[in-house]
Amino acid sequence: MTRRRKIVFWLFVLGGLHGIVLCAGFFAPYDPVEQDRINPYLPPMHLHIVDAEKHLHLRPFVYASRLRPGTFDQYVEDIRQTRPLKFFVAGAPYRLFGFLPARLHLFGDGKERIYLLGTDAFGRDQLSRLLFGGQISLFSGLLGAGFTLSIGWCIGAAAGYYGGWRDDMLMRLVELFLALPWLYLLFAVRAFLPLTVNPLKAFFLIIAVIAAVGWARPARLVRGIVLSAKERDFVRAARGFGASSFYILRRHILPETSSVLLTQAAILIPQYVLAEMTLSFLGLGVPEPVPSWGNLLSNLQQYSVLVSYWWMYLPALVMAPFFLGYLGLASALQESSDAYKIEKRSLGSLA
Amino acid sequence: MEPILKVENLTKRYAKRNSARTPQEFLALDSVSFAVSAGATLAIVGESGSGKSTLASCIACLEPPTAGNFWFEGRNLAQSAESELRKIRPQIQLIFPDSASALSPRWSILDIAVEPLVLQGKLGRKERNARTFFLLERVGLAADMAERPAAELSGGQRQRLAIARALTLDPKILILDEALSALDCSVQAQIANVLLELQASRGMTFLFITHDLTMAAHLADEIAVMSRGRIVEQGPSTKIVRNPDHDATRQLLAAVPRLPRSPWPAAQP
Amino acid sequence: MMRYLLRRLAHAFFLIIGVSVLTFLFTTLAPGNYFDEMRLNPQIAPETLAALRAQYQLDQPLAIRYASWVNSVLHGEIGFSFAYNSPVAPLLLVRAKNTLLLTLTATVVAWAIALPLGVWSAERLGRLPDRVISWSTAVLLVIPDLALALGLLVLALRTGWFPAGGMASVDFKSLSSLNRIRDLARHMTLPVVALVLSTLPILVRHVRAAVADVLHAPFLLAAEGHGIPPRTLLYRYALPAAANPLVSLFGFSIGALLSGSLLIEVVMSWPGLGPFLLEAILARDIYVVIGGVLFSTIFLAAGNFLADVLLYWVDPRIRTESASR
Repeated sequence: MTRRRKIVFWLFVLGGLHGIVLCAGFFAPYDPVEQDRINPYLPPMHLHIVDAEKHLHLRPFVYASRLRPGTFDQYVEDIRQTRPLKFFVAGAPYRLFGFLPARLHLFGDGKERIYLLGTDAFGRDQLSRLLFGGQISLFSGLLGAGFTLSIGWCIGAAAGYYGGWRDDMLMRLVELFLALPWLYLLFAVRAFLPLTVNPLKAFFLIIAVIAAVGWARPARLVRGIVLSAKERDFVRAARGFGASSFYILRRHILPETSSVLLTQAAILIPQYVLAEMTLSFLGLGVPEPVPSWGNLLSNLQQYSVLVSYWWMYLPALVMAPFFLGYLGLASALQESSDAYKIEKRSLGSLA
Repeated sequence: MEPILKVENLTKRYAKRNSARTPQEFLALDSVSFAVSAGATLAIVGESGSGKSTLASCIACLEPPTAGNFWFEGRNLAQSAESELRKIRPQIQLIFPDSASALSPRWSILDIAVEPLVLQGKLGRKERNARTFFLLERVGLAADMAERPAAELSGGQRQRLAIARALTLDPKILILDEALSALDCSVQAQIANVLLELQASRGMTFLFITHDLTMAAHLADEIAVMSRGRIVEQGPSTKIVRNPDHDATRQLLAAVPRLPRSPWPAAQP
Repeated sequence: MMRYLLRRLAHAFFLIIGVSVLTFLFTTLAPGNYFDEMRLNPQIAPETLAALRAQYQLDQPLAIRYASWVNSVLHGEIGFSFAYNSPVAPLLLVRAKNTLLLTLTATVVAWAIALPLGVWSAERLGRLPDRVISWSTAVLLVIPDLALALGLLVLALRTGWFPAGGMASVDFKSLSSLNRIRDLARHMTLPVVALVLSTLPILVRHVRAAVADVLHAPFLLAAEGHGIPPRTLLYRYALPAAANPLVSLFGFSIGALLSGSLLIEVVMSWPGLGPFLLEAILARDIYVVIGGVLFSTIFLAAGNFLADVLLYWVDPRIRTESASR
């Protein structure tokens, strides 16, 4: 595969994965906070197309769960009760993309509930919580990376472009932030902020904390590029045409840093999703009942849950395909930026 | 006649940053003085590292001199504020030695050539493009190439693009810093002719910076020879080439390649 | 030699000073004065509060307050834990020892695996072993640490091969010293494995890249052309040349392992700084958090300094550079 194709491929994969999470309301059969108290810790229901009497069904179905006789927390499939999946049904209302009111779900069944990934302690549908939780986790990662890169770019560009004592001062600050282990720093910053906040505030709090901690590395990278870019002849030429600093930063230096910014984004976003998961897992992030991948895992801190209900472990693994996508994108981007350098070098030697 | 550019005791020092604890200074320009009258061509010749490019950057107001003064049309630019310099810079244009790095590799030819006019912001889009196309054609770049990226051009084409770009501003002084040196002979001659034509039609002043004495003698009325940051000899071209005073000049002359009388031993049948 | 080391030492010192200023600013500039919040806390005696106020000299200008704070820190008084009603330093020291034990073991194990694996992979660039290693590191990279730690914990709980959490068995006190070490090793296995697996892929990839870069450098090809045997080539020529990026990677790995151990200690209930700091944040026990950050920086700075000494030892360029001055 050529580099361009690799990048397009990974962008496509990531686009698909994020699209599913973005449209969580449609793919999730239920409201993520809706409780079903009589069905706590229900194991995932398996999809069937062949029933117990070996009849083939065109419509996939699940069996209802019932308690195994003599136990109080073990379930078996009740082969007398089939629940066929209905597609494109109206169900719990939600807002598509956060604002469009809608009721349409990919699948569901109006009366009898279908739990493809089981339920949690309150009988909430794990699949729905996973999908909606992704919205919080992924978008705090995306926004956090966006803020970090913007702050890092501004500081790095200022240091590189203006140079002198400003550069020295900012770079010392960068070294300071890079010297701290990031989770300790995250803890420290978090410790000075209010402990109990509402979910929306917590969401923005996490993003702010992440950005406050993470700007140093991109700043240093950007500074290096700006430092060499501002001495490039076409930048000097633009100054010769009477360009202002702002124009040069925007039109000439920003594009030079774009490939580094993209690569950094591909590296930072998964890190920040992980940071959100860590904070929420430890109870310092988005609080219940709003789901996030981190707080979905937090009840695994009880060993009994961890051992008895394996499906509660799924949120830990759901990140893996996203990580894979970002890893692939980052390595494809790095490859292409190297090639760009080689191309430039050969151009230079030809001239 | 009042010179358009007058340079007096221009000095530039760089702090060498090769070791952090023992800062050394490097004197790139050491009290350089000269004057050019409007419409003339002055060639500045010197071996590499003699301070020619630093001089070019200083006069183009891209780097502030450490000491000394220089006047452009009677205004002392060494003492001017950055805001004033921004208005002056378009009138003194510099053509860089490496055309590949002087053009943004991601931009199209038209975008590159029109950038100075966009920055001036005086002309409308149509007038801008018309003027740019006129100049592109003048230096021999076909208008149908305008949308292509600059990276596709050959070295000679790139340098012509750089010249056309500088000319869109109609500068009073054009500084050519080794602008022709990297090109092969036929292209050099072609561009030199374009430049001479332009000078005749617009009365532009040229500062022609090179290491090639013969090229300098061909293009310039007067030559200044630089060595180690100083101007060691200055005078009319013919005098410098025929009757050099300084060792540096003689060395430069000796470096000019000449065809030996018999390039190889005559073949004996 | 001395000059180089002194310079690096000065750098480490600068970092610690910087962090102390930063943490100090955090405490004083945090929204809402902490002392106000404390006044409302019935657990804190008014006398304690008054003593703290004196120690922090709230009515003095910032610079003087900082100086007196530094002075008290130098005397081992990082602050006062309200939750434990005791000075922070001794509390912290007990936990920090456990965290250090975990982090240092993990660092040693991770490098002991990553270095040979990365070199081996770089030597066989593009061949089957290299591909297998690349793919397995990619798989490890894609699994979040949290998932890894929880997964290992499930394994421990299901199989009973390893104790699930804690640092010592209940009967630890009654064991002989040899058995005590065995007991500790058994308890350490899971957290160390989790830590090593979380940093291993990054280390292996970087070692591989650094060594592969050098192996294809012209000077090494020339040396190969001179008939120098491959072993010598690798150990005497390639590895010293690749050392520089690896040493900065060493500093990074200590930072990463420190951070990683915070989380893994919480998951595996290892009595280190992780659970302690988390508890402190939840109890708004601010000086404990500051102490933790200071500790981590000092440890990291020490680790980086160690790396610089190592670099001096392996990289000829630094020796000649400082000799020529």
